[in-house]
Amino acid sequence: MAEHVIGTIADFPVGSSTVVKIRTIEIGVFNVAGTLYALPNICPHQYGPLCTGGVNGTMVSGPDTDWQLEWGREGEILTCPWHGIEFDITTGQALANPRFKVRQYPISVVDDKVTITLGS
Amino acid sequence: MVFTIDADIHVNDTPGKLAPYCEMPWRKSLELLDGGSYPYLQIPGFAPNLRQDPPIAGSPPYRSVETAADMRRELNELDIEVGILFPDHLLLFATLPNREYATALAHAYNRWLAEEWLQEDNGLFGVVLASPQNPEDSANEIRKYAKNDRIVGVYLPTAGVHPLWGDRKYDPIFSAAQEADLPVCLHSVTITTPQFPYQLDQFENHFARQVLSHAFAMMANLTSIMHTGVPARYPKLKVVFTEAGIAWVPYMMWRMDKYYNEYRRHVPFLDRRPSEYMRERMWFATQPVEEPDDPSQLVETIHQIGDDRIIFASDWPHHDFDHPKAILKLPMSQDLKRAVMGLNALSAFPRIPVPVAAE
Ligand code: FES
Repeated sequence: MAEHVIGTIADFPVGSSTVVKIRTIEIGVFNVAGTLYALPNICPHQYGPLCTGGVNGTMVSGPDTDWQLEWGREGEILTCPWHGIEFDITTGQALANPRFKVRQYPISVVDDKVTITLGS
Repeated sequence: MVFTIDADIHVNDTPGKLAPYCEMPWRKSLELLDGGSYPYLQIPGFAPNLRQDPPIAGSPPYRSVETAADMRRELNELDIEVGILFPDHLLLFATLPNREYATALAHAYNRWLAEEWLQEDNGLFGVVLASPQNPEDSANEIRKYAKNDRIVGVYLPTAGVHPLWGDRKYDPIFSAAQEADLPVCLHSVTITTPQFPYQLDQFENHFARQVLSHAFAMMANLTSIMHTGVPARYPKLKVVFTEAGIAWVPYMMWRMDKYYNEYRRHVPFLDRRPSEYMRERMWFATQPVEEPDDPSQLVETIHQIGDDRIIFASDWPHHDFDHPKAILKLPMSQDLKRAVMGLNALSAFPRIPVPVAAE
């Protein structure tokens, strides 16, 4: 286990998405409403640079919306720039396919320092 | 012998037979049409089933079955215990432009079917015709015939239907079918109309039209009901696809899932992949079953779709019917044969009583 300081909290304001590199590993860091998430910058679909995609909401519809289309989850959805597969930043899960889920690296803030923990 | 349910056989619904069951003024029209040439929906200037080719010697004859007793006898010869009846001529039903005539004809067909074909406990079951021209009236017909325990599904005329079956105007039909726990059964036929995907006029012989017509109809209508969320909005609705074979099904599963990845936000009401809805509440009838040189490839196709999704159909008495042996000869387990020949259809058509031997 190794801890890597990637900056201070001021470097990752709410709504930001940033790709950092630790050794050879590219990691996307997202601040969703004050909580930081770190996901690998590689899409499980065809290995596109997932974390360079846009952060958005998405279209929502179901019994709760009386089957009307509504915009929801603003700021929580990452869209891969290659084929547009949507990922829930807060879980790493693709919305359209249960087989596509990316890992979440442990990320923490101590004394304003942002730290990602990687396996050895 | 393997218990066999045949999900698609045909009754000969001539205008003369339907006339006594039809309301005025259209009863008069049916009487006038009686005795005319076979595709009687062809009125001047409107000929969806236009015979575009000169007759060629040696082509299969036109066959029809006229009575329930004849049908029972013929199914016995084919070793088929249970058969689900669809019309002959009213396969073209969706192309009728006159809403009042279509409504009267649907009533007449449903009455005639119940009176002439479904009176005896003889293994024959019917599907109530839902008129796409008049969805509210069709919903009433479904509620009315749901009380008849020999009606086991709802027939959705699919050839030439416009708009396709996913349009929200048909919601009353899906709602009533779900309510009654009657599966909706899509059945197409080879026709030429300006409606997508039936514009087959550019093909110069029937080989080509026949190759494409049914499968394209099923692919287009499956996509249609998926893209407006019918299986999500009607979470108990069962859907049966007939007379298009089965090899198009894995392709559509894979293709719809692929684009669901990319365009999920266009169809956010689908809360899982299209293939998952297909594997949960849709069934696919075998006829005209594909016949690859290596039959194990067809068995693999069945596995890909789902062993519980495939139901036997013969299409008796039509020219391209499949004998049960077309399935029974496949290199697959006895359990899978039993599932495809009859047991899967018991799930698709829950009203068909489970025979003692099959339990
Ligand atoms: S590589 Fe990410 S969507 Fe295809």
